[in-house]
Amino acid sequence: MTAIANPIGHPARVMADATVATAPLLEGRNLRKTYRLGRRNTVEALRGVDVRIEPGEVVAIMGPSGSGKSTLMHILGLLHAPDRADGAAGGSDGLRPELSFGGRDVVALSDGERTKIRAREMGFVFQDFNLVPTLTALENVLLACDYADRGGRAARSAALEALEMVGLSERAGHRPAELSGGEQQRVAIARALVNRPALVLADEPTGNLDSARTGEVLGLLQRLNREHGQTFVLVTHDQEVGEACDRVIRMRDGLVRDEER
Amino acid sequence: MRMLRNLSRRRLRTALTILGITIGIWALVVFGSMANRINDMVGKGSVYFQSGAISVWGGGGDTPKMNPLDLALEDRIKAIPDVDVVVPGVSMYLSDDNASMSMGLPPMITAQPAGLTTGRDTLILRAAAGRLLAASDEGSNVVVLGCDLARQYSKQVGDTITLRGEEFTVVGVLAQTQTQPDNSAMIPFAAEQRLYLTTLPSLVKANLTASNVVTGFQVYPKPGTSPDTITAQIKALSPELGTMTGADFDKLAGSYAAMLNSVLVGIGLISLAVGGLSVVNTMAMSIAERTREIGIKRAIGAGRIRIVREIVAESALIGCIGGTIGLALGALLVTLANEAGRSSGTILFELTAGTAISSVIFSTVLGAIAGFVPALHAARLDPVAALRYE
Repeated sequence: MTAIANPIGHPARVMADATVATAPLLEGRNLRKTYRLGRRNTVEALRGVDVRIEPGEVVAIMGPSGSGKSTLMHILGLLHAPDRADGAAGGSDGLRPELSFGGRDVVALSDGERTKIRAREMGFVFQDFNLVPTLTALENVLLACDYADRGGRAARSAALEALEMVGLSERAGHRPAELSGGEQQRVAIARALVNRPALVLADEPTGNLDSARTGEVLGLLQRLNREHGQTFVLVTHDQEVGEACDRVIRMRDGLVRDEER
Repeated sequence: MRMLRNLSRRRLRTALTILGITIGIWALVVFGSMANRINDMVGKGSVYFQSGAISVWGGGGDTPKMNPLDLALEDRIKAIPDVDVVVPGVSMYLSDDNASMSMGLPPMITAQPAGLTTGRDTLILRAAAGRLLAASDEGSNVVVLGCDLARQYSKQVGDTITLRGEEFTVVGVLAQTQTQPDNSAMIPFAAEQRLYLTTLPSLVKANLTASNVVTGFQVYPKPGTSPDTITAQIKALSPELGTMTGADFDKLAGSYAAMLNSVLVGIGLISLAVGGLSVVNTMAMSIAERTREIGIKRAIGAGRIRIVREIVAESALIGCIGGTIGLALGALLVTLANEAGRSSGTILFELTAGTAISSVIFSTVLGAIAGFVPALHAARLDPVAALRYE
């Protein structure tokens, strides 16, 4: 397989030895999120986080439960919008949140616009694999093509190629129930990759896998990063996963505590 | 295909929902066919009256009666300017049992002097077997049967049939008209007058002679004149006389038919509403079960419209399947009932292509509408919350 040009247009692996300032793939400042659980019960999940993801990086977001790492991923993945600066949800110091993806300001986008970016330029992998149970492996991958408005023979061959990339072309016709946990997660990775997204976000991608399968999935992600310059942001509890990444962002109580490389 | 796979996830529930729609459409098809048949009878009756004939009877009122009238009235009606032809007639029920309410048209014995209305009838009678009555039949006991009567009594040309105690020889069977003549026996005028007299109470009978008795007249105005001016003059002859023009008939029959239609179609629609609610319920449950799946789809880039479209298409499919099965079962029942009714002369249903097609389209649209509210709910789900849903 030949290397894929990054859709955003940045050269891969810039971060590895970059001293020259390049445009980040994803950059957030003053990201806050307060969830209102009841009338008086609010949870400040994010309390002002700055984050910067360079193209070609593999970044782990780690931290204990409730540290805000999943919330951060939902905001970076445009599934949720950060709180606005007017502080309606409380706890604001008046600083305006900023979030840009591929150079575009994405803070104030409508649901439809964010959905479109998710479909075309992002890929998602979840802890519970989250495949559609009635669809075969191939159809699950094709679903992502469909949502990105890709159809026909081109989409089909892209989907088969993505399954081959994760080593599952033999099992394209199987339903999720007929696949092992590791295989299901590889189908989910193929689905996340089929549109050649600029960024793949993974929420505990190895959380439901034993150590052998965890190694398999990690190896796959590293290979995709190495061969295609694919950018990954992983949320994880697993130290082994963190160690395999280029960089680890450690969170606690809704704030970034430190970053290590 | 994918939709069918989704529907087959909960086979029993899907089947029950489809059954709900099936029953609704079944009811709509059956009752709709009944309404079609009634409309058809009214329509054909209307054609009959559009010949411009005015019905005249004794006893007044707005609906025709079969009270005795004196044949001598014929000349007084003829004397009215603008009256072209006057045809006396005698009608009576085939038997006294039939006088009560019945579905469809009651079996009758009718007679007119042969040949008098030539060229003026719009409802042309044809013999399917044998022949129609002729002037030369006067004085003999012969009968032409309507097709339903012939079938009911299993009579063919050459058989004999007993009418009001007298034997008659069948000389003809009429082709189907879809209205009253199908259920009538036509006999020579003098025979009818004689039979009619036997049905009257003895006190009434004492003052009448058979050859002078009629139950009504068909009055044909001269071409180009309005029937209304003539009816006023007929009524002026005697306050006892009642009249009905084509317009009167349309108004009367139309209002009966409209009422009956709305009752029948209403029953069908109520069954459908129940069926529709069961689709709403099914889709709402199915969406609750698939909350996670909708979350995945939203997360990986399915827009809200897309989600709505998927769910609405699925529920429209339920409606379409239910409608098609309902139509098939309804058509089966209508056909069987008509076959069974044919022998007793009562055809109650008429399933038209319009009723068939519109019932399936209607159930599909109903399914789509029923799926719309649950679909909107699904589309509004927060993808993150939906993904966490257990």
